[in-house]
Amino acid sequence: MNHQHHFVPDFETDDDYVNANTNPSSSNLARKPIIGEQEEDGDLMELLWHNGQVVLHNQRPNAKKQPPPPPPSSSSAPPPALDHNLFIQEDEMSSWLHYPLRDDDDFCSDLFLPAERQTSNQVVTAARPPVPSTVRPPEASSMRPPAPLPSSVRPPVRNFMNFSRLRGDFTGRGGESGPSVSKSTVRESTQVSATPARESDLTRRTDGIGSRGTVDLASRSAVDGGGGAYTVGHNRKGKAVVTTEPRNENPAGASSSLASKSEIEPFNETTIVDERKRKEREAIDETEEEAKQGRGSTSTKRSRAAEVHNLSERKRRDRINERMKALQELIPRCNKSDKASMLDEAIEYMKSLQLQIQMMSMGCGMMPMMYTGMQQYMPHMAMGMGMGMEMGMNRPPPPPPPPPFMPFPNMLASQRPLPPQPRMGGYPAVQASDPSRVYGSNQQFVPNSNQAPYSGYMDPYQQFRSLHPSQPPQFQNQAASYPSSSRVSSTKESEDQGNQTTS
Amino acid sequence: MSNRRSRQSSSATRISDDQMIDLVSKLRQFLPEIRERRRSDKVSASTVLQETCNYIRKLHREVDNLSDRLSLLLDSVDEDSQEAAVIRNLLM
Repeated sequence: MNHQHHFVPDFETDDDYVNANTNPSSSNLARKPIIGEQEEDGDLMELLWHNGQVVLHNQRPNAKKQPPPPPPSSSSAPPPALDHNLFIQEDEMSSWLHYPLRDDDDFCSDLFLPAERQTSNQVVTAARPPVPSTVRPPEASSMRPPAPLPSSVRPPVRNFMNFSRLRGDFTGRGGESGPSVSKSTVRESTQVSATPARESDLTRRTDGIGSRGTVDLASRSAVDGGGGAYTVGHNRKGKAVVTTEPRNENPAGASSSLASKSEIEPFNETTIVDERKRKEREAIDETEEEAKQGRGSTSTKRSRAAEVHNLSERKRRDRINERMKALQELIPRCNKSDKASMLDEAIEYMKSLQLQIQMMSMGCGMMPMMYTGMQQYMPHMAMGMGMGMEMGMNRPPPPPPPPPFMPFPNMLASQRPLPPQPRMGGYPAVQASDPSRVYGSNQQFVPNSNQAPYSGYMDPYQQFRSLHPSQPPQFQNQAASYPSSSRVSSTKESEDQGNQTTS
Repeated sequence: MSNRRSRQSSSATRISDDQMIDLVSKLRQFLPEIRERRRSDKVSASTVLQETCNYIRKLHREVDNLSDRLSLLLDSVDEDSQEAAVIRNLLM
């Protein structure tokens, strides 16, 4: 390896790895091979994830690389050492490693807390193809500028999940690893304000999703929205499980790095992405300013004010976009890319959630009373589905001919196969009156639910309205269809079928 | 500038002023915090969206909570009873 280990004190003549502790340079970072693979000189053989494989690479620039001979001399030693270190495309890795990792000092040393992996990642990131200069300054502000980077040629490094998240992949281009990781990076930036659960989602998605194209905000929003809605909204109940799982699922190395990264991310992700955005804006602004300066000072002042306004406007837009994405992820089965329709769906979803909660709370509160009320009224409800609400509201309970209990489970079962109705489709016109009645009745009943037995009568009607096979009310069906997506009710389904067969 | 933006509003990444107004007015009904805000006409879109997200999460939590309670109730009730069926319906 042609590392210039000039500055490396030579005390580690016994390479032989392992005793990183013996090395003075090991003080920098006690790197332990994550997967327990060989540590070369014990110095800083960092295990990196590369395309799902582990790559050993020496972290410190000063670290002496080769086992046998003193660093500067051996060009022969490194390649063999490298060869069995690198499990992957040796051509890229080895060529990269051959290059002097000079100024990785500043580069690595700053690196955020869980030094090891990040720094190694940093180094690797440095190896990425010439990053656009515009990218670097903003990143430099948050991280130490890898100034010498352009000088050292590094072949593209792929899929270093860890580091690329931190660093270069906001540039998004050129790196195959970049996309997948930067996607998570980018997404995290948007969700910094969101719950910690988000990070796990991102982690999970990082694993699951392969590399995309370049990262750009628009595609990010689309993909995140789609993916987010799909995975997050999928099972609300199991969300806690979902969030923790990804961390455990990841292989040890990745998980530790990811976990460590997650600490950093909240600080850095937003800054990095914001910087990236700002850089874009600033790039645009600079060009605008240059043009305006040509025109004269007065126009420049006005234009500067306009630019300031532009900037603030952009920031506002970005904030709104972030929130929109977060909202989109909360809504199950939201595949709308259009903001307006997404907002409409959000509103519908909220209504259905509210309705569902009302029903459930009434059901909870009324359980003790159901015994008395149900037997009389249920059969009737089984008969007069669509009119259930109205009848309950407007007329005294009709005399209950007791039809068998059968119809009820049938209806329960029949509701399930119902495809999710186009909630906003033809329904509003048809049932314009119904929702209002439902709401009206809900609002009436809620205060009374605990008071009179009559209210107990009302509530079952509300429920069974939703069961009507031919005319599922819009909101009721929404309420039912939403929870059916989110709740794992396999046991209940089996019970229901059991109920059906037995009764 | 706003004109320019509204012209660009056709793209998915832009939201028009009309949309925003519509959103805000609709969400006001759900968000008591916004309703009670003193200067309700000045609520920013991002705030509204944030409140909406919070509200939805709150609703989710409540639904989960209620489902737990209903499942407990379900266990306490006869399997084939009508109450059980009702509860299952609710839990669906």
